[in-house]
Amino acid sequence: MLAERRCRVARRIARSLLAATVLTAVSTFTPAHAAEPILQTEESDVVTLPPGGPHRVLVEDGVYRHSKDGRVYVVDLDTGRLLGMVQAAYNANMVADPAGKAFYVAETTWERGNRGKRHDMLAAYDPRTLEMVADIDLPGRALITPKKPDMAIGADGHYVYVYDSSPTNAVHVYDTALKSVVRTVDVPGCGLVYPWGNTGFSSICGDGSLANVQMDAKGKPTLTRTPPFFVPDRDPVFEHSPEVGANGHVWFISYSGLIYETTLGTQSSVAKPWSIQEAAGLKAASDARAPFEVTWRPGGWQLAALRARDSHLFVLMHKGTFWTHKEAGSELWELDLKTHRLVRRIPLAAHSMMVGVTQDAQSRIMLTDEAGDLVVLDGADGKPVRKIGALGDALIFTAAPGE
Amino acid sequence: MPNPENRGAVGVARNGLDTMAERLARYLAGRSSRRSALARLGGWAAAIPAFPLLPVWRRDARAAAPAAPSPFAAKAQVKDDTKCDYWRYCAIDGNLCTTCGGGVHSCPPGTHPSPTSWIGTCFNPQDRRSYLIAYRDCCGQDACNEQNCLGMDGDLPTYRPQANNDIIWCFGTGSLLYNCSTAVIVGTAE
Repeated sequence: MLAERRCRVARRIARSLLAATVLTAVSTFTPAHAAEPILQTEESDVVTLPPGGPHRVLVEDGVYRHSKDGRVYVVDLDTGRLLGMVQAAYNANMVADPAGKAFYVAETTWERGNRGKRHDMLAAYDPRTLEMVADIDLPGRALITPKKPDMAIGADGHYVYVYDSSPTNAVHVYDTALKSVVRTVDVPGCGLVYPWGNTGFSSICGDGSLANVQMDAKGKPTLTRTPPFFVPDRDPVFEHSPEVGANGHVWFISYSGLIYETTLGTQSSVAKPWSIQEAAGLKAASDARAPFEVTWRPGGWQLAALRARDSHLFVLMHKGTFWTHKEAGSELWELDLKTHRLVRRIPLAAHSMMVGVTQDAQSRIMLTDEAGDLVVLDGADGKPVRKIGALGDALIFTAAPGE
Repeated sequence: MPNPENRGAVGVARNGLDTMAERLARYLAGRSSRRSALARLGGWAAAIPAFPLLPVWRRDARAAAPAAPSPFAAKAQVKDDTKCDYWRYCAIDGNLCTTCGGGVHSCPPGTHPSPTSWIGTCFNPQDRRSYLIAYRDCCGQDACNEQNCLGMDGDLPTYRPQANNDIIWCFGTGSLLYNCSTAVIVGTAE
C-alpha cells in the first residue's frame, strides 16, 4: 500500500516538472526566435595577416616532450593572440629576413615518421599568408637541441646559412633568390654561424678562436682565423650570445659573466672583457678553476637579448655555482653596453630559460616559464604587461622584427 | 765525490737495521713453526671473504683521495639511478632511460643504443673515484619524457662537441630520433 502511494506521488511530481519545463521553454525561446535573423550560410576561407608591427614576433617551440613535432608560432604581443603557426620538425631552427620579407625554417623528418629516408629541409614562408614560398632539400643539418646560431641570415637577406656537423663541420649557404644551396663551406674544428654584412660569417672554434669566412661575388669563400680570446675549458662563451648581424657586432658572454665585445670581419677584433657582476657592484665571478663559488651568474637557453637602439643588454641571472650555466634565471639584469653599467635588476615572477626583446621605442621583453607561457614585460621599466598562457610546451627562442 | 764521513754514517745505520731485522727474525723463528705460519696465512685467506670490509679498507687507504670536485658531486647520491642527483648523471641532459623501460646502461625495448657518445667525468662519492661516463643515447622512438634531468658538470658549448650534451648522439642508429639517455661507465678517470 505504502509503495503504491509513493508511486502515485512520484508520478504527480514528474508530471508537474514536465509541465513547468515546457512552459519555461515556450516562454523563453518563442519571442527571441522571432526577433533573431536566420544566420547566413558561409564560405570557408583563409586569413591573410595584415602587415605586422614591431610587436609581431616569431617564437620557436621545441616541444621537448615529443620533439618530432616542433613548431614556430607567430604571436602578437599587443593582443596576446596566436596569429598562426608553421611546422618546425625535430630540433628545427628559424631565422627571419631582416626586412621582414620572409622567414625560414630548417627542419628534419623521416619518410615513415620515426624511420625511413631522412629529409633535411629548408622552407621559406610568406610572413602574412604563412604559405611556403620555397621548400628545398638541404645536404644535411646539425641535429642539436636548437641554438639560434645554428642558422643565420645575411644583412640583406640574400644568403641563409645552415650549420651542419655530420660528417664534418660545415655551413651550407642557401641563396634566397635562386632558392637553392649554392655552396658548402667547411669550418674544420669550428661551429655555429654569426653573420656579418651581406656575405660574411664567423664560427667559434674549439680552441677559443674564431674562423672568419668571406664570400666573394661568385660565392667563393676565403677563411681567416682570429687568435684564441678565451679558454673553453675554463670559461667558455655562450652560443646564445647576442648579435647585430648587419654590422657583425657580437657581445660574447662567458659562463662566468665576462662580456667580450667583438666586431666580426675578415680580421675580427675582440675588446678586453668586462664583468657583468662588477658592472652591478659585485665581485667578478669565478670560472671553472673555483667551481664552488656561489654568486650571481648568467644562465638559461636564449639567456640574453640585445636592444640595439640604446645598446641595452638583458641577461637572465641566477644565484649558483659554476657549471650551472643552463639554470633558469630568477632575475633579468639590464646593462648598458656603452657605459658597462647596470641599469636595473628585474626580479622575475617565474624563472625563465629564455629572454627576447623587441627593437622599437615601446619595446617588449619576452620570457617564458615551465608551463610554456609567454610572459611579456614592458621594455622601459620591466613591469608586467601580460601573460600568454600555455602558448607552447618548450619555448626556446624568439625572433623580433629588425633584430 | 761523496763525503766519506757520510758514507760511514750510512754504514752505521745499515748495520743497525740489519741487527734489528736479525733480532726480529730470530724472535719469530724461536716462537713459530713453518706449519703454524702457514695455518695463520690460511686462516686469513679463509676469513677475508667473510668480512665485506674491502670498501672500508680502500677508503682508509685512500684517505688522501680528493674531495668532490664539483658542486654536483658534492650533493650526489649512489642509491637511486632514477633520480637526477644520481652520481653518474653529473652531465646528463635528457630523459633517464632508467625511467623509460631501460636501465643505467640499457636501452628500453624498441630503441637502439648510439654507437657514438660524448664522455663526461663524474665523481662517485662512495669510493671517491672519478669515472669516465659515456652518455649514450637510445634512439628510434620519440622522447620518452619521463624523468628529465640536466646535469651540467663539464658541459661545454657545441663548438666543443666532445664535451657537449645538447647534440643528438644518435649517429648510426637508423633515424636519429632521441628517446632517452644512459650513463655507462667506460673507465676510471685517474
